[in-house]
Amino acid sequence: MFLEIKDLSVKIENKNILKGLNLNINKGEVHAIMGPNGSGKSTLANVLAGKEDYEIINGRINFKENDLFDLNIEERAQEGMFLAFQYPVEIPGVNITPFLHSAINSKRKRMNEEEIDNLSFAKLLKSKASDLGINIDMLKRSVNTGFSGGEKKRYEILQMSILNPDLAILDETDSGLDIDALKIVTDGVNKLKTKDNSFLIITHYQKLLDYIKPDYVHVMVNGSIVKSGGSEIAAEIEKDGFQKFQ
Amino acid sequence: MSIQDNYLKNKKNIFFSENKDIQSHREKLINIFENNRFDKKNNESLKNINLKKFIDFKYRYLISEETSVINNNQENIYSIVSVNGQCSSFKDDKIEITKILDEDYNDFSKNNTIENNDHFVNLNSLFLNSGFKIVIKKNNNIKIKISNIITDDDLTIFQKNNYICEEGSSLNLIEEYENKNNSISNILNVIKLEKNSQLNHFLIQDNSPNHNLIITSHSSCKKDSTYTQKVYNFSEGYVRNFHYSELIEANSEADLQGIFFLKDNNTTNNKTFVKHLAEDCKSNQVYKGILNDRSKATYFSNTHVDQVAQKTEGYQLSKGILLSDNASYFSKPELKIYADDVKCSHGSTIGPIDENAIFYLRSRGMSKIAATKILISSFINEELSSIDNEQMSEIIQKKLVRYLSKVK
Repeated sequence: MFLEIKDLSVKIENKNILKGLNLNINKGEVHAIMGPNGSGKSTLANVLAGKEDYEIINGRINFKENDLFDLNIEERAQEGMFLAFQYPVEIPGVNITPFLHSAINSKRKRMNEEEIDNLSFAKLLKSKASDLGINIDMLKRSVNTGFSGGEKKRYEILQMSILNPDLAILDETDSGLDIDALKIVTDGVNKLKTKDNSFLIITHYQKLLDYIKPDYVHVMVNGSIVKSGGSEIAAEIEKDGFQKFQ
Repeated sequence: MSIQDNYLKNKKNIFFSENKDIQSHREKLINIFENNRFDKKNNESLKNINLKKFIDFKYRYLISEETSVINNNQENIYSIVSVNGQCSSFKDDKIEITKILDEDYNDFSKNNTIENNDHFVNLNSLFLNSGFKIVIKKNNNIKIKISNIITDDDLTIFQKNNYICEEGSSLNLIEEYENKNNSISNILNVIKLEKNSQLNHFLIQDNSPNHNLIITSHSSCKKDSTYTQKVYNFSEGYVRNFHYSELIEANSEADLQGIFFLKDNNTTNNKTFVKHLAEDCKSNQVYKGILNDRSKATYFSNTHVDQVAQKTEGYQLSKGILLSDNASYFSKPELKIYADDVKCSHGSTIGPIDENAIFYLRSRGMSKIAATKILISSFINEELSSIDNEQMSEIIQKKLVRYLSKVK
């Protein structure tokens, strides 16, 4: 099993958010989680990435044979987990290029791989940026600073394609994107998909799933998964909403 | 020992003690000390200060013969080593360095920009024992680097320097304060910029924990002149940076910036004050601080716009990062505007490092400590990247790396 979430319960500030959640993802699979606002989708994404604001009450998560709770935030990233943020943080003064270079090398170091030099990294970055329609000038800017909503999401996908994760979690990556930007972003994701990596896509809407075909769709309501199946569930939600699952 | 007794005991070693006018002024100052003992609550010059150390000090001064001026044989670049506040005389067709004279004693107080109750400036006037005057001659463009050296422990340096930039001149002034001995340096720089002159003033402060540096500057700018000051405080000992600027003629500018890096139990007090006394002038006051452990800082900024100073632009900004729950930074921006056609603003942001930014960087594989350091560097990136002197930039970067190496 690539990712195994067993009976996970999580709270924040005395409010229970996840309530006995179970989810298994195998290598090469694309899973989508759909759910209404406040159902705990982003909490799940943040808990997987290691955000420390949450209290784990119960349950366990295994990722690539590791107990995920034994790994801190950066170790999870270095092990191949990637979270594309719903609201990417603006960090003025931190330049995109050296930041990403440092990020990829920290992963390579953990994997006992040779670090990538400046020149090779610049070439890699340029080519990936070009694939995503990202202007080279944008790479001279500070992380997410002054970016439009669409640029931020595109930049998240650029980071994902550079870091080439084993498990990518996309937290409402479609929100705030116009149709052209959505196509570019989802093309980027589809290009990255192989039999060796997995995706967990969190979304409200079926639209994203028209472009990234999931193997499994889960409905999350009130902190747990209430229904799992194929992409027919997404169509069902698009037609009837989440009401019938609550 | 009272201030008065201390003064009388050491009078013979203090500059201008034979001058009756100066003597009379000093008696007034002694009265201020005797009658205002010492209202910490209402006196900005006393906040977070160990008063005993600075008021009940043991006066000690040594005259050193080691002072030197070196014209580095590079055109327009001068290196000066100031020892115990003294500097040898020097003259060529571009600059002139002399001792300060009686007439320079009280030449900064005309507009009352420096308050009467700034005890440290008053102490400087009372116990003045060193200093020099540098004149940059008309239409010359030069660079001066001054290393301020203290030769011995337990010295009390009360130094006054005058800088005069004559019409059309331009001076790049780098001052280094890097002392390891247990002394007090109380320095007052009085800076006069004549028409169309420019002074870029860099102060690098990196003293050891027992060295106390109190530095006050007062600049006055005539028509079309610009005074820029950048203070980099890496000191492990107490530093006070109080800087006053008067824009006395049209189209002049003052840009007062500072960054301080504090750790352990260290304290710094900072103040910038710009008085707009003419129309079409600009000012900028920006201080940023990074505070670790149990360190403390204050920053008072003040823009005063006189009623004649129409079309003024005056900006203030204060920012701080607290790396520890026990660190504190008190910031108080003030604007006093008596003209109606002005653009002025002030802002202050102090808090811990942005946890969301740390999470974001860590989620890409960066360690917590690396993420913290990159965010500290980014916090002052704008100020560091604006240093156009390569040598200075390298010095500051090295000191920053040293500071960051202690951040856990």
